[in-house]
Amino acid sequence: MLRIEHYAKTYPGGKRAVDDLSLHVLPGEIYGFIGHNGAGKTTTLRAVAGVMDFTEGRILIDGHDIRKEPLAAKRVTAFLPDSPDLYAFMRGIDYLNFIADLYDIPAGQRTADIGKYAGAFALTGSLGSPIGSYSHGMRQKLALVSAFIRRPKLLILDEPFVGLDPSAAHLMKAYLSELCLGGSAVFFSTHVLEVAEKLCHKIAIIKAGRLIKSGPMAELIGDCSLEELFLELEGEQ
Amino acid sequence: MKKFLALLRVSLQSMLLTSVTPGRIGKRAATGLGAVALISFLGLYLSGIYSSLLLAALAPLHMEALVFTFMGMGVLAGGLLFTTLAVKGVVFGGKDNDLLLSMPVPATLLLASRVAAIYLENLLFSLFVLLPTGVAYTLLCGDGLGHSPLFWVRLAAAACILPLLDTALALLLGALIAFLSARVSRGALGQNIVMGLFLAAVLYFSFGLNGMLSSLAENAAAIRDSLGWALPLLWMGEGVMGDWGKLIAFSICCILPLLLVVAALGRIYRRAVTAFAGKSSRSDYRLSAQSASGQRRALLQKEARRFFGTPMYFWNAGLGLVMLLAAGVAALVMRERLAAVSAMAGEGLALPLAAAAIGFCLCACPIDAPSVSLEGRYLWILREAPLREGVLIGVKVGFQLLLTLPCTAISAVCISLSLGFSFLQGAVLLLVLWLFAAWHAVFGMLMGLCFPQLGAVNETVLIKQSLAVVLSMFIPMAALAAAGGLYWLLGQAGIAGMLAPIALFALLLAVCAAILIRRGPAMLRAL
Repeated sequence: MLRIEHYAKTYPGGKRAVDDLSLHVLPGEIYGFIGHNGAGKTTTLRAVAGVMDFTEGRILIDGHDIRKEPLAAKRVTAFLPDSPDLYAFMRGIDYLNFIADLYDIPAGQRTADIGKYAGAFALTGSLGSPIGSYSHGMRQKLALVSAFIRRPKLLILDEPFVGLDPSAAHLMKAYLSELCLGGSAVFFSTHVLEVAEKLCHKIAIIKAGRLIKSGPMAELIGDCSLEELFLELEGEQ
Repeated sequence: MKKFLALLRVSLQSMLLTSVTPGRIGKRAATGLGAVALISFLGLYLSGIYSSLLLAALAPLHMEALVFTFMGMGVLAGGLLFTTLAVKGVVFGGKDNDLLLSMPVPATLLLASRVAAIYLENLLFSLFVLLPTGVAYTLLCGDGLGHSPLFWVRLAAAACILPLLDTALALLLGALIAFLSARVSRGALGQNIVMGLFLAAVLYFSFGLNGMLSSLAENAAAIRDSLGWALPLLWMGEGVMGDWGKLIAFSICCILPLLLVVAALGRIYRRAVTAFAGKSSRSDYRLSAQSASGQRRALLQKEARRFFGTPMYFWNAGLGLVMLLAAGVAALVMRERLAAVSAMAGEGLALPLAAAAIGFCLCACPIDAPSVSLEGRYLWILREAPLREGVLIGVKVGFQLLLTLPCTAISAVCISLSLGFSFLQGAVLLLVLWLFAAWHAVFGMLMGLCFPQLGAVNETVLIKQSLAVVLSMFIPMAALAAAGGLYWLLGQAGIAGMLAPIALFALLLAVCAAILIRRGPAMLRAL
């Protein structure tokens, strides 16, 4: 579903944020992306989502090159940044319809999906209010609903658990699993290693822009915990 | 004092950084300086002309002081119009409120630093209006007072002190608007109504003042006696002319209200910021069947929601639309007076004057110029969507045209009917103005892409004074003047004179549209 080949990003000024990163996320997989602050996780996720250009390499989503066929690649993708700023001047329902219109989601399907996801996140009653009046958590939930109603083949999430209450986080994990059972893939970054350990089929650990370990969770951690593995790799480097 | 200066520096940086844009320093500085020079020239020119007209009427009656009074009224009305809505954003709505209010700094100090930013804006306007009045006085009145350094000291003092009163009034009105918008369910509508009423009052006042000015020579003494309600401004006029006592009285009338307002608001600033910002969401929405529309329509609706739902945006970038419609209606209502003026101006001048008036209103509609910067932190939404950059640019330009073209047509038809233009003249007027409006929209978008500001602390400064907005207002004004010059040079009422502005704006439109189509998407991608 997602193939990253020799991806590299150098910022203007010469700082090499990510260097020669290659990954492969299969359909039905939840792939965790782990690393310390400034390791290059967000830079990679933004490049995969087509939000930011990159210097070298190739990123393919469902067979579409994000550079050569950006529209086809974006049509099957949903991206959620770490702190999603949503149009404060819109009502929640207007924002969801706006996103649905950009992705050509039919009226019946969007009504049903908005009902399902907004209802589950206890957001339906607030959809008539301006987003400017929402709390941080409500905005996060609205952004999640706007991602789920797209029924994406690839869901890219940057620190999705930040700002969510425990029940919303639990619900999100359930929906991520449901999405993967339907053949979609999830690629997300997190600092919450316990969640990553329980949720992810595979993980990749990045440090100072370079991939230092990747593969199936069980294979990588063996008998120890993800936290122990992460700290051990940090120490080695 | 140290803390105040640090806070003031932050306020000023947030204002000034939106007037320049990241990029090469040489290009940035040159463009910024060019824009400032252009605004200064236009401000000085307009004020100089108006002051000269007033002096011509009042100097023979030895009532020159009234000129400063009238120009002071202009400063007050204009300053209020420009800064009232800015108060809500700059003083009460900064995105750095949480950060600054959490610091060990008295709230009054923080308020004062933000009020100082508003004051500086009013001060700039005051200097642009009052200093040319002093120059006109020095050149046109032979009493030698204008050559005295003390005259200039008094004038400079008045020009610096008057904006304090302006700032106090803008602060009160801005706080009222912020309070109302936080209290009523449709805050934007409430603000728009308050601002509309305020604008109507300013227009009514201006028409009244114009009426006074037309009969100034005959009734100067009576008019001065009727200005008791504007006593501080009368004192300002007489103070500038040499009465130090009245200048001090005027100064007290300006300084005291601002001190009182800042002291009073400072006591409740933290509470006010919380109350004005926090509108809790309701929880009674019931989901019904939703309808679908296409990408372009969705993007257009988004632009419309932002424009009409953000009073600061609507009243700054849409003021020209209101003026276009008001000018059309006023032309029909005052048909006979306009016809008389047109007859006095002569056949060759009526058409370019009408075009210049409507063109000026169009220049006051920089709707798409700040729209790229306004995307700011929301830009990720559009970037991750399956959208071509060209579609986004086209929608932003199209939204401006959707508003300006019909308003231009209404205004042009009303003015043509009022001035008794022939069908050919009316058609030429409409064609020239539509070409100008189309070029203005395309040019504004180009400026928005060339000088983007995606990280502004508040949207107010982006809409009011970003470089893109300034350039998209004043360069078209210069183009209008060039078109007028061509019309004049190529034989006023003749065919060549009529065709020249059409050719000029068609050429500008073609060039800018070609650049926007070829380079625009890449520029947007590069942000």
